[in-house]
Amino acid sequence: MTERQMPEGPFSGGCQCGAIRFHALALRDNPHVCYCRMCQKATGNLFAALVGVRHEHLTWSRGVPAEFMSSEIAARGFCSNCGTSLYYRAQGGPHVSISIGAFDEPQKIALWYQLGMEGKHPSLFHLNDIEEAGTTESNESEYDIALIRKSNQQHPDHDTDVWTARPGVLR
Amino acid sequence: MTEHFTGGCQCGAVRYRVAGPPSGVSICNCRMCQKALGNLTGPFASFKARVAWTRGAPKLFRSSDRVWRGFCANCGTPLTYQWGASGNPALTIGSFDRPDELMPTVEFARDNRHPIFLRYDSMTEEPLGTTDEERDILAILRSFQHPDQDTETWTPGGGQ
Repeated sequence: MTERQMPEGPFSGGCQCGAIRFHALALRDNPHVCYCRMCQKATGNLFAALVGVRHEHLTWSRGVPAEFMSSEIAARGFCSNCGTSLYYRAQGGPHVSISIGAFDEPQKIALWYQLGMEGKHPSLFHLNDIEEAGTTESNESEYDIALIRKSNQQHPDHDTDVWTARPGVLR
Repeated sequence: MTEHFTGGCQCGAVRYRVAGPPSGVSICNCRMCQKALGNLTGPFASFKARVAWTRGAPKLFRSSDRVWRGFCANCGTPLTYQWGASGNPALTIGSFDRPDELMPTVEFARDNRHPIFLRYDSMTEEPLGTTDEERDILAILRSFQHPDQDTETWTPGGGQ
């Protein structure tokens, strides 16, 4: 059993398009994944991967997330331009649970526990049975790789002084 | 009879229906999928049959010249990944009404796996509602999440 220790702050992060950016001075010692059906459907994913940031340690340095009240006691924050799931927040709670994938360096945040076990997706019991299909770019043509690199609209994984997010479109 | 798959966003403003079977079910660890979903992976199911939007439609963000990503403009659920403006979208596994029926068989960009996937079972299990107070809250909670099935009429609760 390795000793669990939270990484030292500060941390930065934001949504895919960069319209929303945040700073976290410190993280709470609760990095986890939640498999409950509310977290799954809110994030369109197999789980929400979250870590708490106390309100006094959290700054929205660019833009403000939109919120959907998923129940009377909880809100889910997201970017209204590009849709990145940014947080889960319990009304009146001491912290905001920020999406780990939205941090600029998610690999620095180790996960400690899992909850909502009733909803654990069956594939997560057999992770290594899934066929490995290469690196990010190994399945695409050189032409497409070049085009995507040139036209990539994802905000870089660090703060920027100036940034114009490509607008999302309603169909 | 063709099996149909249904799903939608958390608030129910966007709902879809597609004929199975899926042509591919995958998990992607690339940084574009991670940041687009704010998560460790992008899990998607794609279909040969055209996806039908039975209520509403996603808002689209063009993350690069080739790729569009869709989400619900009301509640934010990430819903789709598609090549080209009119490509048939792949759908996020968690947004299906029965996500357990979609088992990923392919994993992309394993080189960018979040480190937890190397020791997934090191996480301890915590029940939801550990304390009496938490259980009381769960017991009276009124959820604004759309049920995991199509509905004739639906007014999204919650909101901004």
